[in-house]
Amino acid sequence: MTAVSVRNVSKVFNQGKPNQVDALSNVALDVKQGEFVSLIGPSGCGKSTLLRLVANLLEPTSGEVTVNGKTAAQARLDQDYGMAFQQAGLFDWRTVRKNIELPLELKGWDKQQRSARADEMLQLVQLPEFGDHYPWQLSGGMQQRIAIARALAAHPPLLLMDEPFGALDEMTREYMQGELLRICAATGTTVVFVTHSIPEAVYLSNRVVVMSPRPGRITKVVDVSLGGERNEDTRNRTAFFEAITAVREGLRGMHAAHVGLGNDDR
Amino acid sequence: MTSVVRRAVQRSAMFVAALALVAVIWETYKALGPEEGGQLLGIRILPRTSEYAMPHVWDMFSRFGRPEVRGSARTVFDAVLAGAWYSFRLSVAGFVFGAVIGVGLAVLMARFKWVQRGVLPYLVVSQTVPLIALAPLIVSWGGKLEIGAFVWPRWMSVSVLGAFLAFFPIAVGTLRGLAAAPAASVELMQSYAASWTKTLFKLRFPTAVPYMVPAFRLGASASVIGVVVAEISTGLRGGIGRLIIEYAREATGDPAKVYTAIFGAAALGLVMAGAVVAVDVVVMRNRPKEAVV
Ligand SMILES: Nc1ncnc2c1ncn2[C@@H]1O[C@H](COP(=O)(O)OP(=O)(O)O)[C@@H](O)[C@H]1O
Ligand SMILES: [Mg+2]
Repeated sequence: MTAVSVRNVSKVFNQGKPNQVDALSNVALDVKQGEFVSLIGPSGCGKSTLLRLVANLLEPTSGEVTVNGKTAAQARLDQDYGMAFQQAGLFDWRTVRKNIELPLELKGWDKQQRSARADEMLQLVQLPEFGDHYPWQLSGGMQQRIAIARALAAHPPLLLMDEPFGALDEMTREYMQGELLRICAATGTTVVFVTHSIPEAVYLSNRVVVMSPRPGRITKVVDVSLGGERNEDTRNRTAFFEAITAVREGLRGMHAAHVGLGNDDR
Repeated sequence: MTSVVRRAVQRSAMFVAALALVAVIWETYKALGPEEGGQLLGIRILPRTSEYAMPHVWDMFSRFGRPEVRGSARTVFDAVLAGAWYSFRLSVAGFVFGAVIGVGLAVLMARFKWVQRGVLPYLVVSQTVPLIALAPLIVSWGGKLEIGAFVWPRWMSVSVLGAFLAFFPIAVGTLRGLAAAPAASVELMQSYAASWTKTLFKLRFPTAVPYMVPAFRLGASASVIGVVVAEISTGLRGGIGRLIIEYAREATGDPAKVYTAIFGAAALGLVMAGAVVAVDVVVMRNRPKEAVV
């Protein structure tokens, strides 16, 4: 079954007004169960918009989005996905443990179940001793791991992430990438991941979706043939560099079109 | 917690120092200023420094220890304390009433934009109505109120006036706080398909706390002012407002006496605001230490 199916979706903000934006135009994308797909492209090309459409935080102007065979709206009501943003967005007034339990509380789980799951998630992100800390007592990378734990607490089959490591330094970032792959392998979660970084997209993904702006659309899809097992050596492999080059060319072609070297834009 | 204690001690020291400074300025002017005040083109621009107009600071304080009226066993201190306690209870009632109305209005305004557009301008206007004019009106309305066996007591009208001043800063501050939840957090709650009410209690109110505390502190002081002014303008017996009128009438013979009642009213306001600060310290103990507002 496809985890996410986006069919001919367009999104127009402020339709008919002078500040109309064609954020997405005729986008089609299928994500298979267990797949890791990255969206990459210059800012303003509609990556966040596409993610929000899948999350049903926005309604498409035209086209259809389904998640696990349901409408996006039903999937949201069923909490079929977890979400993580660039800012960890943890609640300052809750302990780490209570933050992880938030989605479970909203699902109506009882205290014991919640607490057991929080323990499990803390173990998963390898911060078991920080449950009773407050978020502001943790480093940025730790906060982001807690945000991931929160997103996965209800064991959703799908994880939507919008530049989750964008605010982290390079070292922490690479470490977090490894962690994310480990967690996803352990849970079998499907991931749609927005990023600005080409190596990050390639390292993490089965497929990298290259997007371009005005109007936002998909220009290229790069299959990354690095196999399931990825580690620090992956970053030195030929296939890694080949995929990076392919993505870069996808982005560059679009750039050429933009500065008037190409002829496919207008 | 030690830093909290240190801050509290520092603040109290500052406060005492400020009071001492006022006393010093008072006494300096009294010693150096012209006995009959200063006049410019026939208009008095400097106050008189006579015993009658400006009693010594130490006379004001020693007045606390002497009998309220000649030959009575009750000291002024006892009378002021009893009056302050009475007004305190009315102020607390007014504050609680004002807080319920204020928070309720803020929630409605946050929930429904049309309520906000329709109500907020009137709230602002309501605060420009002079309290002195309003007090007798409310008392007379209250006097006509009878619901079954329930007769509206006069003290309740006075509390209502405290509430009338208290609800406004509370409504405005709470509304600002409820609107302060970051868009990403609101989206997160949306992604959990959380209802508006769930979002209100799990996200918006906790975010609003740092905005609500200063608003409540203002509301607490405002409630005291409302109650004391209403007591003065309606002449309700028992409270510090009434003492201020009564003692002011004796100002010719006993000029220091009225200041004891004024100090009582000031202390009352401080106690109310202090209680809110104490609640703040407890509620905010686990929040990041940098200022949020
Ligand atoms: N709520 C909105 N209202 C109006 N325009 C929007 C809104 N959200 C996004 N946009 C516009 O849509 C385009 C795509 O935005 P976004 O999806 O955030 O891009 P990206 O995440 O790729 O940087 C941008 O031009 C942006 O200004
Ligand atoms: Mg974005």
